Parts: sequence; structure tokens; C-alpha cells
Amino acid sequence: MRGMRGVGVLALAMVVVLAITACQQRAQQPAQQAKKFKVGIVYDVGGRGDLSFNDMAFAGLEQAQREFGDRIETRDLEPTAGGENREELLRLLAGENYDLIFGIGFLFTDSISRVAKEFPNVKFGLIDGFVPDLTDASNIVCLLFNEHEGSFLVGAAAALKSRTGVIGFVGGMKIPLIEKFEAGYIAGARYVKPSIRVLSDYAGTTGEAFRDPVKGKELALAQYDRRADIIYHASGGTGIGVFEAAVVKKRLAIGVDADQSLTVKDDQRPQILTSMMKRVDVSVFETIKAFVDGQYKGGYKNFGLAEGGVGYAENDYNKDMIADIKDRLEDLKQKIVAGEIKVPASKAELDTFLKSLPK
Amino acid sequence: MKWRLLVLQIATPILAIVFGVVIASIIVLAIGRNPLDVFGVLLRFGLLRADSLLSILFKATPLIFAGLAVALSFRAALWNIGVEGQYYIGAFCAAYVGFGIKGLPVAVHLPLAVLAAGLGGMLWALVPILLKLRRGAHEVITTIMMNYIAAAVILYLIADVFRDPSQIGTPRVRTPEFPGSARVPSMGPLLGLLGLTGPDANKVNWLLIFGLVLCVLFTVLLSRTRFGYEVRAVAFNPQAAEAAGIPNARIQFLMFMLSGGVAGLAGLSDVLGFFGYLDIDFPKGLGFLGISIALLAKNNPLGVVLAALLFGFLDRGALGVQFFARVPKEVIVILQALIILAIVVAYELVTRYIRMQRKREAERPATAPAAAAEAGH
Repeated sequence: MRGMRGVGVLALAMVVVLAITACQQRAQQPAQQAKKFKVGIVYDVGGRGDLSFNDMAFAGLEQAQREFGDRIETRDLEPTAGGENREELLRLLAGENYDLIFGIGFLFTDSISRVAKEFPNVKFGLIDGFVPDLTDASNIVCLLFNEHEGSFLVGAAAALKSRTGVIGFVGGMKIPLIEKFEAGYIAGARYVKPSIRVLSDYAGTTGEAFRDPVKGKELALAQYDRRADIIYHASGGTGIGVFEAAVVKKRLAIGVDADQSLTVKDDQRPQILTSMMKRVDVSVFETIKAFVDGQYKGGYKNFGLAEGGVGYAENDYNKDMIADIKDRLEDLKQKIVAGEIKVPASKAELDTFLKSLPK
Repeated sequence: MKWRLLVLQIATPILAIVFGVVIASIIVLAIGRNPLDVFGVLLRFGLLRADSLLSILFKATPLIFAGLAVALSFRAALWNIGVEGQYYIGAFCAAYVGFGIKGLPVAVHLPLAVLAAGLGGMLWALVPILLKLRRGAHEVITTIMMNYIAAAVILYLIADVFRDPSQIGTPRVRTPEFPGSARVPSMGPLLGLLGLTGPDANKVNWLLIFGLVLCVLFTVLLSRTRFGYEVRAVAFNPQAAEAAGIPNARIQFLMFMLSGGVAGLAGLSDVLGFFGYLDIDFPKGLGFLGISIALLAKNNPLGVVLAALLFGFLDRGALGVQFFARVPKEVIVILQALIILAIVVAYELVTRYIRMQRKREAERPATAPAAAAEAGH
């Protein structure tokens, strides 16, 4: 009896406090200015703070906000843990009159196709996803990356730097997209050093495989034990475990998506040879820029080495480490851009590529 | 005294929600935001927009099946933690019937797919219940293990055996699409008559009505039939029930199978009603939400409907809170969990209080006859 009354009094007191604070905080809404373009982003599972994919998208948005500050208004939203509400978030943004909306990751493919049909006047950008039969007039632009080209360069870097003749690859989810990284990496390594051995492992077959650092560490330790001295990871958050393993074994690792030397812990920095940069930020920024300039076009946009969409990272921490191979990497890069080397983008293409190499 | 208790009983859910809101307000205040703004957005966005109401119905549909499945097992004093795995298998069975068979009319194909889902769920529930009844293995452990197996099995089936050949070369890993005859029709046309149109109206499908009907049927079965009486007896005191001639094992087996069968249907709203294919990225976690829903509903099938709607509302409202009130997603998840937790606790406290007062009254000799007329819940 007494307990109940206590709760009641407490509740009443809370309500009073809330009412008072509410009155104080009213009327602080910013005044509406002239019409701005509204740009929204919905992240992939994992959301902000993954130090790679999603954070890169945010970086692109931020850059656009800085550059076109007075002309655009930006919003970024995270889906639920399993990503079930990504379509609802897209529809919400579109319904709130956002002009340009990005879906970060191929999981948005079907959702964006549906929402784009419902809102023909809203433009969409889809990272990594492929929607068939788009034209310049479509309201979806698929932003695709030649990850295999960037992976080719870091594969070459790994092979050139390896002392044991064995290097490793740790992938996240075993899907064709990640196999593209693997194919490019193996091709690059074998191109510069035909005798190199490449160990490959994947963390799993679900989305979980992109956020499982424990598994990443386990796989990396096993590869280091099998004499690999450099491991390239294409596994999102799982790669944090690969870096930990590199610290334990005092060997090297290669990052992915972002320039990971800049974002990892201090003790891991010396272990990172370089990172395969996938410039999601560039693609987001370029698309916003085109939109603001009235140049938005639907269809497909490829970001490869030539467009600066992928590449290897050079920074204050790894400058000395890669100084001796840099000329060689730049040479390879020129060859790829010029079309002299056609980098394989799948396991099947890799087989043909490897057969074409001089023995 | 009696009137006061009655009023209190009616007010219990409201008190529970108020309590939940108060607790959540403390968190909102702690992150330096105004709770009135946040709850204002939650209510306005969640309840005053037609698209939100429709979205809540869509979100509640699978939760009704999941909650009902868990509640059915709890009613027989069995802990079916395996609804998660059972609906994976059910969804796959329905998908297999969906893309594997062609040329059937809707009237045959769709019921067949739904039946397959139910049987799939039952199949996955069969192992734990047999292990329990024959070998005494506790069903909590076995059903959890079956969840892991189910997750791995359907991944294998979707990715390696039945992957849509047209998707090879893309990152999409899913089964082929089902023909229209295996899709659950949308309630969109009907809702259109009520003036509700648009994508959110089209998402609501007839499984919602099917789920409601199931809940009503199970209410009748459990409270108005001999079988229901036997279930109560077994749950209340197995030894006494056995002594009274009620076959314990048979009742538990049947209830667990019913639970598994309903669980198998939980994924259908998404798979047959929305996507039209089974993707490795299809919505997961419904089984565990079902446990919360069953607990919140006190294992009452009709309560399950209300609890599922509440979950749908919180989920939809969270979207608005993230968007309009600019509260970070992580805080919203905490709020959702706190509100549910507070409701459960407050509900329990008030119910206990009422029960205690009743007992006290019943023990008072002079007023005994009046108090004996109990309403029951």
C-alpha cells in the first residue's frame, strides 16, 4: 500500500519537473531559411563508428556540408541492428521531401528500387548495389567501385614486402563482392612474384562476419602461424581482430576501405603496411556535388583507379615502410589505368588471369 | 474497498505504461533532452499518421505469430526458446514450396506453402520435445541449440543449394522468386476502400487477419474446452494432473507441437507477404521478441495481439524519434527495452497488490461471500 503511494508521488513529481523543463526549452527552433537541398544518408548495418565503410560515407557527407554549407541540409540515419527498417528510413526521408538520398551498401538494392518507384522526383544514390536497366534519366545512380584494382596494388605490395613467401587474406562474408577483393589481391601478388603463396579464409556466411573481431583474430593468428607475414583483410569490423593478431605476432596487416592507419589504436599503427582505400566518401561527395550543380545523372558510375575511387594509402606512419616499393606500385597503377593489365574481378576471371601469366 | 480494487485493476495497464514513461524520461533527461518533446514525437509520429498506423500493423503481424507460439508453450509450462529456429525452418519450407512448384492456382499453392511452414516449425520442435519427454533433456538447452542448427542449415540451403541462379555474380544471396500464386495477398485493396492507400497500405497482408483468428481460436481452445482445462492442470501441477488421469506427456507434446507449428508461420508475413523470396538477410530475431511479447501478454493469446501492437508502435515510433527528435539510435533501443521492462514490472506489482488485497478480504469472515465472486483474468 505504502509502496504504491510512494511510486505515485514520485511519478507526479517527475511529471511536474518535466513540464517545467519543457516550458523552458520551447521556442528555440531555428528560423526557416531559403530553400535548401536536403541530402540524407541511411547507413548499412553496423552504422557509424565502424572506422571504415559507413564512416567513409559520413566523411563524404561532411565534406559536402562544408563545401556547400549554405545550400544543403544533411541528415544521416542508422537502421536497426538487423537492418530491417532500412526501407522505412528511406521512405521517411523521401516523404519528408529530401531531394537526394543515399543507401550505403548492396543490401539497399531492392529497397531503393521500390522507394525510387514511389518517389519519382527524389534522386537516389546506391553504394555497391546494382539495379538493372537504369538510364541517364533514372532517379537511381549505382555507385560501384573497382575494388579489385585497388586490391591488386596492395596484393603486389604484400608480395614485394613478404620475406617468407607466404601472404594471407581474411574476408568477411563469403560473397562475390568480397571475392572480388580476394581475386584482385591474389592477381596482384602473383603478377609481381609468381612463386608467392596466398592463404585465404573467410569469417563466415552472414552479415555477422563483418563484425566479428574474435573470429578475425583467430583466422589471422592461424595464417601467421602458417608462415604468412602480411595479411590483407576485407572484413569491416572483423579486421580489428586481424590488426590485434598482427600486434601479437609482430607481423604486418593491410587495412581496407578507409586509411586504417589513421583510425586504429597506436600500438597497431606500425603493423599496418597500407590500406586498400575504397573512397566511398569520394563517391558520396561527387554525387552531391553533381546534384547541387544540376548535373545529377542516373545509371551507373564506376570508381576505379583512374577516377581515384580506389587506391593504396600512404600516410605519415607507413611512408617509410612503402618507400622502396612505391615506384613499382605507381608503375602498376599506370598499367592498370592504361588498360595494359586487366585485373580479374571474380574467382573465374582470376583463373584465366593466372594462366595468362608467364611461368 | 471492492470498487477501488476494480478501478485499480482496470487502470493497471495505464499505470504500467505511466511507470515505463517515467523511467524512460529519466534516461532522456540524462542525455540532456526534453522528455516531453521526445514522447510528443513518439505519440504524434506513431499514432497520428496513417502510414505509421499501417506500418504498425505490418510490424505486428509476424510478432503475433511469434508471441503466440511462445505463449502456447509457456501455457503448458514448457520453455520453447526455439521459436527463432522454428520460424527459420518454417520460412524455408514455405519458400521451397513457393519457388519449387509452379502452375498451381493460388487457392492450392498458398495454403500448401503455409502448411509447409507450419510443418517445418513442428519438425524443428519435434526433436527437443522428444528429447525432453523420452530422455529428460531440458528443452531450454535443446531449443537454443536447435536455433543454431537452423540458422546454419538455412544458410547452407539458401547459399549453396537453392541459390537463385540469376543472382550469381551479384552480392545478393537468395532463393528464386515465388510466382504470384504463392504470395499472401495484400490488404491494400480493402484498406483502399477505407481511404488508406500507398506503399504502407500495400505492405499489410492477410496474415494479420489469419494471426488474429488463430489468437481467438486458441483463446477458445485454452479457456473453453476440456483440452484447455487439461493444459491448465498439467501446467499447474503435473503430478496431480497425472494422478487425476490426465496424460501429462501427451498434453505437453501436443502443446509443444502447436507452439512449433505457429512458430513456423512467423516468417511468412515477410517471406510470402512482402519479399517474395527468401534472402539470407531476411528479418531475424522474431523468436526472441516473441518471448518478450508472451511475457508481456501473460501468455494470453489476445494479450499477445495487444503486446505485438505495442512492440510495433514502439518500433515505428522509434523511427520518428530518431528522425524528428534527433535522439541517437542507441538511446532509442535503450528506451524501448526500458519501457517494456517497466511495464512488465509495474504490471506484476499491481497484480500482486490486488491479489493480496483480495486474499485479505476473503479472509475477513464477515465480508467473505462478496469477495468470493472473483472476476478472474
